[in-house]
Amino acid sequence: MNKKWLVLTPLAVFILLCAFLLKGLFSDPRELQSGRVNQALPAFDLPDLMAPQKRWTNADMAGQTYLINVWGTWCPTCLAELGYLTELRERGVTIVGLYYEQGYDPDFGDRFDLTALQQEVRDMLARAGDPYQFNMLDLDRQFILDLGVSGAPETFLVNGEGKVLVHHTGDVNERVWRAKFAPLLGE
Amino acid sequence: MIPELGYFSLTLAMVLCVLLFIFPMWGAHTGNLRLMRAAPSLAVGQFIFVLLSFAALIYASLTDDFTVAYVAHHSSSTLPWYYKITSTWGGHEGAILLWLVMQAGWTAAVALLSKSLPWPLRARVLGVLGFLAVGFMLYTLLMSSPFDRLLPYYPVEGRDLNPLLQDPGMIIHPPLLYMGYVGLSVSFAFAIAALLTGQLDNLWAKWSRPWTMAAWGFLTLGITIGSWWAYAELGWGGWWFWDPVENASLMPWLVATALLHSLAVTEKRGIFKSWTVLLAIAAFSLSLLGTFIVRSGIIVSVHAFASDPDRGMFILAFLAIVVGGGLTLYALRAGHVSSEGRYSLFSREVALWLNNILLVVATLIVLLGTLLPMVHKELGLGSISIGEPFFNQMFSYLLVPFALLLGAAPLLRWKQNKLKQVAGKYGLGVVIALVLTGAWLFSSFAKVSALTFMATALALWIIVMSAQDLLQKTAQAQSIKRLGLSYWAMQLGHIGLALVIMSVALTSAYSSERDVRVMPGEQVALGGYDFRFDGVKVIRGPNYTGHAGVVTVFNEGELETVLHAEKRRYDIGMQFMTEAAVDAGLRRDLYLALGEQLTGGAWSLRIYHKPYVRVMWLGGILISLAGFIVLFDRRYRRRNPKEAQA
Amino acid sequence: MRFVFVLLALVFAVSASAVEEKYDFTNDEQAALFTELTKELRCPKCQNQNIADSDAVVAKDLRDKVELLVKEGQSKDQVIDYMIDRYGYFVHYQPPVTPATILLWILPGLIVLGGFAFIILRQKKAAQKASWSERDEQQLQKLITRYKRKESA
Repeated sequence: MNKKWLVLTPLAVFILLCAFLLKGLFSDPRELQSGRVNQALPAFDLPDLMAPQKRWTNADMAGQTYLINVWGTWCPTCLAELGYLTELRERGVTIVGLYYEQGYDPDFGDRFDLTALQQEVRDMLARAGDPYQFNMLDLDRQFILDLGVSGAPETFLVNGEGKVLVHHTGDVNERVWRAKFAPLLGE
Repeated sequence: MIPELGYFSLTLAMVLCVLLFIFPMWGAHTGNLRLMRAAPSLAVGQFIFVLLSFAALIYASLTDDFTVAYVAHHSSSTLPWYYKITSTWGGHEGAILLWLVMQAGWTAAVALLSKSLPWPLRARVLGVLGFLAVGFMLYTLLMSSPFDRLLPYYPVEGRDLNPLLQDPGMIIHPPLLYMGYVGLSVSFAFAIAALLTGQLDNLWAKWSRPWTMAAWGFLTLGITIGSWWAYAELGWGGWWFWDPVENASLMPWLVATALLHSLAVTEKRGIFKSWTVLLAIAAFSLSLLGTFIVRSGIIVSVHAFASDPDRGMFILAFLAIVVGGGLTLYALRAGHVSSEGRYSLFSREVALWLNNILLVVATLIVLLGTLLPMVHKELGLGSISIGEPFFNQMFSYLLVPFALLLGAAPLLRWKQNKLKQVAGKYGLGVVIALVLTGAWLFSSFAKVSALTFMATALALWIIVMSAQDLLQKTAQAQSIKRLGLSYWAMQLGHIGLALVIMSVALTSAYSSERDVRVMPGEQVALGGYDFRFDGVKVIRGPNYTGHAGVVTVFNEGELETVLHAEKRRYDIGMQFMTEAAVDAGLRRDLYLALGEQLTGGAWSLRIYHKPYVRVMWLGGILISLAGFIVLFDRRYRRRNPKEAQA
Repeated sequence: MRFVFVLLALVFAVSASAVEEKYDFTNDEQAALFTELTKELRCPKCQNQNIADSDAVVAKDLRDKVELLVKEGQSKDQVIDYMIDRYGYFVHYQPPVTPATILLWILPGLIVLGGFAFIILRQKKAAQKASWSERDEQQLQKLITRYKRKESA
């Protein structure tokens, strides 16, 4: 009797394993859980990309529900999602751009050319649509690191109390918007 | 035309495999000897057709036939001819075809070398192998054919072989690994056939043992070469990262190692039978599971293989049928197997039981560590990573009882022992191991951590006890010649493992590295050596260009060697590759990797000093040799044991 | 000849001190801690690499951050917590203890204990089988094989 059950265990364990493998087959292993969701948005104090003398801080956005979109002109997926984000802006969603400059590396003794970058950004937004209220430049990528950003594009939903509700990695499209963002906005 | 013939040839091979499954199985079931007798010729026949199919792909690759999608994606006209051949297993479809070649080869070998087996068993073993081949062939023909054409629009140039795979290590690593994985299917087939026949006895273990040994030898060598390839090619001096792909090869190895020991007990003493059968099923199941993990893209790994849910579904379904079927049969039949035989608690039997438990727990740790992140996420508990710190910690714990046992067990006899007879030898072994370790480590290194001391002492304990055992056995056997090859294999395997343990301990503790910015003429000191950077020169290979950093190495002012650390850019795909320069030696490796060009003519350079790292691969090679020399043991070479008995 | 080399080495010894370390630490403990941390932290963007071996931008940023935090005198756990706070548990190769991950430690332990208990039980049972000798066993096996062969022939 005892032995009968014992010889069945390997089969039982294997069936359970198969169930998980089957489920795992249909989910994306690259999708990660963020450490930032349901926490306060980290403090920032960053210059405006187009007018560097102007600085933006958390206080400027207090009381508003808005998206922070991390992007760069070097990133093709960002270019692809600009159209949809512009559509969102037209629907009344506030979107703040956080510019991810990845080429600049002080260790290499690089000189950073702001004017060239501004021109590049202007060209791209004119071509593909401009969803942003304004863009912030995080040259030393400290705020980007505080947000737990690993690349671009990534999008955050922040509520009026300054809490992060969603951290999405990859492009935002209609499907993603309906599944992850819209329910939290009561749409 | 040739690729179509390749596809057709594979279809023919599959037809033969379907017959190879049906005829002997049905024949064994009904007792029809004529049907069973068809099996060996079918097995040889399908091997020939699979081989033709593989030859067709190699031909397509060598002749730069970019109308074939696989060749266009994994080769190019500028690739050297030997890499054109190896590119046939550099991608998914070709790798599976290589797997098929191995599968067909093992099946043919079993058919030709199993003449001494009783027909019902022989037929069923070949039938199971035929079934496995059908599964893989269906997969190749339906979902992953390497012969698909890109017509009418085909490229004039191929996309080239991934530069990481353009390395001698990569020429031999996958074939060896697959030889091991697929070889374990023979042990699996023997286990299933034995369960079907109901003949689980010493003879079964005896027949299964050389096949398992050979498969295990190949697997060991494959893993060893794989580790060496990662070290030489990935450019960061690492030799094991607990990546899912590495774990996928380690799991079957651990279980196969347990199986070898368990088979020995079953053969010599007729016990552990149902456990041995379960291990044989598990070893091949883990090979299949590993393939699924690697090929389905279910788990993030540094080796990014193209993933496709449909393909994943097929492999998973096949896995479920083969493993599920095997385990169901096991649950139905193994309950009736009873093991007889007396042994005391202080006996070789118990020592081997313990060995099996520890190896199975090691497998479980690797399995859990590999799959739990996926399960954790599927349960909605969030993403986690399980890597080096976890595995290293768990394996250090396991190492202590395992190594102690490994040193002690060979001195034990079957059935029962008196502590008095061995206690003196154990005491002597402990003392020698501790003294040697202390003398060696404290004289060679400035700092000795407890962990390093312990691991080194355990490795020396194994070596000392092996030596004692050898002295005792030669005294008993009167002459070294009378000790069988199996005994020498055991000694070799154990000493090989001791070397691996020692090397891992020392190289982990005493490796040092520097990551520097150097100007030509500047000099960097590391590990007692001085490295002078002499500048870079432009290099031009068959399908790449790049820079080679020239570094002259001095040892206390004497010229040691001149190294060329390369940074290559492959023409097609514009991929950058770091080609590390290694000055290899038994006592230490000097390892240089050239980084980026910095401003002002400076370069970034990574220098590693790795004591005793090479001993690890030497140990691995010794272990695999153990698997091969057993095959020449007189016991397994005797053609017909029954005739010999009669 | 040897003398020349020693001279050369002396000359170069001067320039050796001028070599710039990519990550420059004033004390060895901090340098060791930095190496250890960069090997235990996982690059969040890459396939499966630690931040020491990855060339990704984010890996470089994390390395620089680790360097900064270590130089500030933060402990290993503090640095790891800093990273987990931002990138989640995924960023550390040592899994956290949760109701699910506790299996990682408990299951191997249970199997070792269960296995030992099983061996002892099995051995006691085996030791009791005094009436059944080795020869009986062999004879039985012979009978079984003979019977099987008849059946299949």
